[in-house]
Amino acid sequence: MKIEGTQELHAPRDRVYSALTNPGILQRCIPGCEALEKIGENLFAAMLKAGVGAIKGTFKGEVRLEDMRPPEHYRIVVEGKGGVGFAKGSADFDLEENDGATLIKYSGELQIGGTIAGVGQRMIQGAAKMMASRFFAALEAEVQRTTAIGEADLV
Amino acid sequence: MISAPFDYVRANTLDEALALLAQNEDAKILAGGHSLIPAMKLRLAMPPLLVDIGRIKDLSYIREDHGQIQIGAMTTHYQIESSDLLKKICPLLPECAGHIGDVQVRNKGTIGGSVAHSDPSGDWPAAIIALNAELVAVSKNGERLVKADDFFVDLMTTALEAGEILREIRINKSNDRTGQAYAKMHHPASGFAVVGVAANLTLDRNGGCEKASIGITGVSSKAYRALAVESALTGSALDEQKIANAAAHAADGVDINGDLFASEDYRRHLAQVFTKRAIAAATERAG
Amino acid sequence: MAAKYVGKRIKRTEDPRLIKGLAHYVDDVRLPDTLHVAFVRSIYAHARITSIDVTEALKAPGVVAVYTGKDIATTVGPVPCAAALPDLKIPDYRVLATGKALFVGHPIAAVVATDRYLARDAADLISVDYEELPVAVDVEASAKGGPVIHEQFGSNIAYTLTSGEGDIEAALKSADHIVTQRMVHQRLAPVAMEGRGVLARYFPGEEELTLWSSTQIPHLMRTQVALMIGLPENKLRVITPEVGGGFGSKLNVYAEEALLAWISIQLGKPVKWIESRRENMQATIHGRAQVGTVEVGCKNDGTITGLRYNVVADLGAYHQLLTPAIPTLTGLMLSGAYRIPAIQMNVTGVFTNKMSTDAYRGAGRPEATYVVERAMDIVAAELKIDPVEVRRKNFPAKTEFPFHTATGLDYDSGDYEAALDKALNLSGYAKLRAEQAKARAAGKLIGIGMSSYVEICALGPSQAMPAGGWESATVRIEPTGTVTVLTGASPHGQGQETSFAQIAADELGVDLNAVTVIHGDTAIVQYGIGTFGSRATAVGGTAVLIAIQKLKEKAAKIAAHVLRCEASSLAFEGGRYSRPSAAAASAVSEPDVAVGEAPAGALPEPDTEGRSTLTIQEIALIAHIAKELPPDTEPGLSATYFFEPKNFTFPFGTHICVVEIDKETGETKFLRYVAVDDCGKVINPLLVDGQIHGGIVQAIGQALYEEVVYDEQGQLVTGELMDYALPKASQMPWFELDRTETPSPVNPLGVKGVGEAGTIGATPAVVNAIVDALSPYGVKHLDMPARPEAVWKLITG
Ligand SMILES: Cc1cc2nc3c(=O)[nH]c(=O)nc-3n(C[C@H](O)[C@H](O)[C@H](O)COP(=O)(O)OP(=O)(O)OC[C@H]3O[C@@H](n4cnc5c(N)ncnc54)[C@H](O)[C@@H]3O)c2cc1C
Repeated sequence: MKIEGTQELHAPRDRVYSALTNPGILQRCIPGCEALEKIGENLFAAMLKAGVGAIKGTFKGEVRLEDMRPPEHYRIVVEGKGGVGFAKGSADFDLEENDGATLIKYSGELQIGGTIAGVGQRMIQGAAKMMASRFFAALEAEVQRTTAIGEADLV
Repeated sequence: MISAPFDYVRANTLDEALALLAQNEDAKILAGGHSLIPAMKLRLAMPPLLVDIGRIKDLSYIREDHGQIQIGAMTTHYQIESSDLLKKICPLLPECAGHIGDVQVRNKGTIGGSVAHSDPSGDWPAAIIALNAELVAVSKNGERLVKADDFFVDLMTTALEAGEILREIRINKSNDRTGQAYAKMHHPASGFAVVGVAANLTLDRNGGCEKASIGITGVSSKAYRALAVESALTGSALDEQKIANAAAHAADGVDINGDLFASEDYRRHLAQVFTKRAIAAATERAG
Repeated sequence: MAAKYVGKRIKRTEDPRLIKGLAHYVDDVRLPDTLHVAFVRSIYAHARITSIDVTEALKAPGVVAVYTGKDIATTVGPVPCAAALPDLKIPDYRVLATGKALFVGHPIAAVVATDRYLARDAADLISVDYEELPVAVDVEASAKGGPVIHEQFGSNIAYTLTSGEGDIEAALKSADHIVTQRMVHQRLAPVAMEGRGVLARYFPGEEELTLWSSTQIPHLMRTQVALMIGLPENKLRVITPEVGGGFGSKLNVYAEEALLAWISIQLGKPVKWIESRRENMQATIHGRAQVGTVEVGCKNDGTITGLRYNVVADLGAYHQLLTPAIPTLTGLMLSGAYRIPAIQMNVTGVFTNKMSTDAYRGAGRPEATYVVERAMDIVAAELKIDPVEVRRKNFPAKTEFPFHTATGLDYDSGDYEAALDKALNLSGYAKLRAEQAKARAAGKLIGIGMSSYVEICALGPSQAMPAGGWESATVRIEPTGTVTVLTGASPHGQGQETSFAQIAADELGVDLNAVTVIHGDTAIVQYGIGTFGSRATAVGGTAVLIAIQKLKEKAAKIAAHVLRCEASSLAFEGGRYSRPSAAAASAVSEPDVAVGEAPAGALPEPDTEGRSTLTIQEIALIAHIAKELPPDTEPGLSATYFFEPKNFTFPFGTHICVVEIDKETGETKFLRYVAVDDCGKVINPLLVDGQIHGGIVQAIGQALYEEVVYDEQGQLVTGELMDYALPKASQMPWFELDRTETPSPVNPLGVKGVGEAGTIGATPAVVNAIVDALSPYGVKHLDMPARPEAVWKLITG
């Protein structure tokens, strides 16, 4: 499944970029991410408790950052596996300056398997969109916060 | 299809149920079980504790009180479908109920469970929006009223907070110039709404549209109010052309979801068609 | 025989227990100390299994054992494929994945625990590491190249085959027109109401294994499972309790059946597995799944000169019992109900990363019928002739039977025009067309579709079958006069307990209630083939009839001896043998030996003194007491017959369907459904109607609703009945049924078979109606299922 969209964040581009590549911030922004531990260069082990409403699943996996060209581009690759199946996705993020704000264009592929693929067909698109919107809402809050408190406090 | 192990408690009172929810943040209310149990059997939901509210007295009722219709959360689809009172004073509800699943589903499933679950293709949310209902949520801290427009937040996400139970649904009685209708395309497998449109119109004394309230389900991640349709309808007499023009706005500004059965484009089109049909039927009934 | 029961609408004797919930399915068989199995199945369509960690599962409460591929790699033989085709590639299909997982649902590990809940919980504790591999999903692409599933074969092509007779090139060249159409026969799931289920119990002392399985073929399963697990065949007993539908999906030997048998031997305890609906969607065979292009040559007057069908068949990852053979049935039936001088089918069987396809109600023939019947309509449209006339023009006359086809068959008997005319009359065809024209003028989309099908039934002569095409019966009259029929056919919902009892009761002149039909237990019933391919009555019923005739020869000998006359001079009427002199009237006054009225503990000794008539039930008693038998006569009264049919049978008929399409939404609504079927002689019209109803419903399912969908990664996205759209009663039209009755010369009952007719005949009628409705938009074809969106797109252009 393709996921595409644009999102405007009210913060300068380099700040957005550094937030997008900061594991502490990513963990807080990825919906349900309970742990994100560095295990290599731009490689993180992740624990995810993701879901919507009554439907929930726990995923264990990896997050990888690739093709990093600060402050305009990077790719994030996420792979997770759990009792309800697996999810695998990658997305390219292109950041554009827009009058002091940042326009993020993202485009990616999401692949799911196991039970969630077999029975969740009609919900998947909605669920993916919801995850994306939660992610960006959290990211917006994070960049606002970090803009307020300064880069040094980033964790 | 065997669920993960879970504990089960049958609550005798609302307070007992609320206390159990407060103690266990992953606990789930069990109403009719017709959304929750299937998800549990697939292990897509694995709540450690189910709090069954089915035996709590006075959660299942349909009554009229000072011009207000009150429906208990545990009222089943079938009770609503077969209610003579509702057929008279709020026919949209029995009509909508008749479109849900099959007889077995309607005998077990509840309006409260359906609204709380907020399946993107569930039928009730469309009617709840079109009827401008208010929802009564209770928690340890007391009761609060949530307007239909604020209730449905996102995909299977409502304004109900952790520890809250939906207790009642309230609808103001309409006058005798009101017409209501529900139009739906059933998914051939699940029976859920590919598109479901609830229309609730009140005409003025000259036959013009005084108030229009349109709720649409199945199209997006949550049911929504078709504001553009409502405003295009209000203020003038409704003829075929007028209705068609208004219905063309059914999915304006809506983030439409596609699936195997219906793409985004087709769903947008269906939203328009069924909106037109629901309005036409409601107009006729109002006249 | 006097027809007191045959031909009558007799209610099924099976039904009360089924309706009251008193029947016993595999899951209702409860044995003490039973262990339960849960499977871990692949969540990838194609992956190398790099490790399986079972340590946590083994520690879980109630867990007795966990088995993986390495445990069975050398101990349990591969899942069998009985289809024999030249140069067929047969992959080694182990009962648990060894090394690679090849489809979503492929079993990887089996957890055995003290109850099914603990087994399921423990399955979640098994952690499998996979290395994902590129997938082969699209059948046409996989035929051409891409990732290879079985490396040893070098490609995904399992076989290629050309069939048919006549010079196809010349035939097409001689045509005035050639029409070509690509058609997709989408993958379907049989979805029997009862999924599969297995219970295996091994007695280590007796070294005997009993296997209860929800199957259509108990004896073939006994043979195959015995070979797979290396048990002497006579130490294995297969019992088929009530079976809640099969539709071909249980005409198979599955991994789980052999594996459970083997586990029971390992653990010395009963083990049970009951398939979940999710497993049923993933790991029970699918049907259809062909993509092909048909070319038909015709003359200006509609005469068909030749037909060529080039097709790729999606076999799935492995062969199940008959997987590669199913498309060959398509090839056999490409002549349809028509005289087509040259026919050729070129089929390529292709492996894909999906569940295997195999026999699903119709098994290859619905595809053929769809191709031919769609082609007839396309020809009619091309030539602007009424579709009725194109069909009529090409029917062989009823005097031309046996009719040889260019697919190499000899149709037994038929009167295709009679069935067509009856359907035209019943539907009021001319009036329908007039109404359609009016409705069209008013902007309505009304379509009329028809299908004149022929199918191949009563499978079949053993020469044409992988493992025997005969059927067996034993008929016994017990000392108390009750009649026991043991049939090797293993009915699973068709109602043969009723129809075979009707045949036996009439032939023996006894009351229907006196007959009990027993099936589905290899320790009780002589070897048999099973119920599939609409064969049970034509082949199995005939075996019953002939066994009774044999039994009656003996009964007559005994009667003649007791009544002191020549056997050849005896009359047999109403279950009673009479001496030639005995007036019919005196027969009535003869005292019956009251069966069941014997003094406690003793058999009633018939008083034969001075009798001039004897009932066959009295003779049974005499035969068992054995004091008054003619010399050199074996005691007892039973006979066994194995019937080998000389040919298939060929039922036929015409279905006419009228639909209206909602212009705005693309939804199809039925206005009429008329079916005239000819299944030869009818034993029980009620059962025949039931088979036709169910068949049409499943055909409509294919035409409008059903499709097994795998995504590009080979994930099964229609994994539940929330997404896989089975037809529902509320969506069905009213069926207006009638019949013609052309007896088959192939068997003495004159029956042809009806189990699949509806599924075969109805699909093209529905699609033809939809295409007809859409013809004002220039629509010539539409692939199934005709989902509203697809129809809407054709309307909106
Ligand atoms: C075969 C089938 C077909 C169906 N077809 C349709 C259809 O066509 N249209 C349609 O709209 N629906 C359909 N449904 C769903 C059905 O209407 C369900 O009954 C409904 O969605 C949920 O109601 P319930 O009482 O069963 O809730 P449950 O399944 O018991 O609960 C659902 C969720 O809501 C929560 N919950 C329940 N009650 C409350 C409450 N009072 N306060 C707070 N939280 C609560 C539960 O914790 C759970 O998370 C179908 C279901 C089935 C099985």
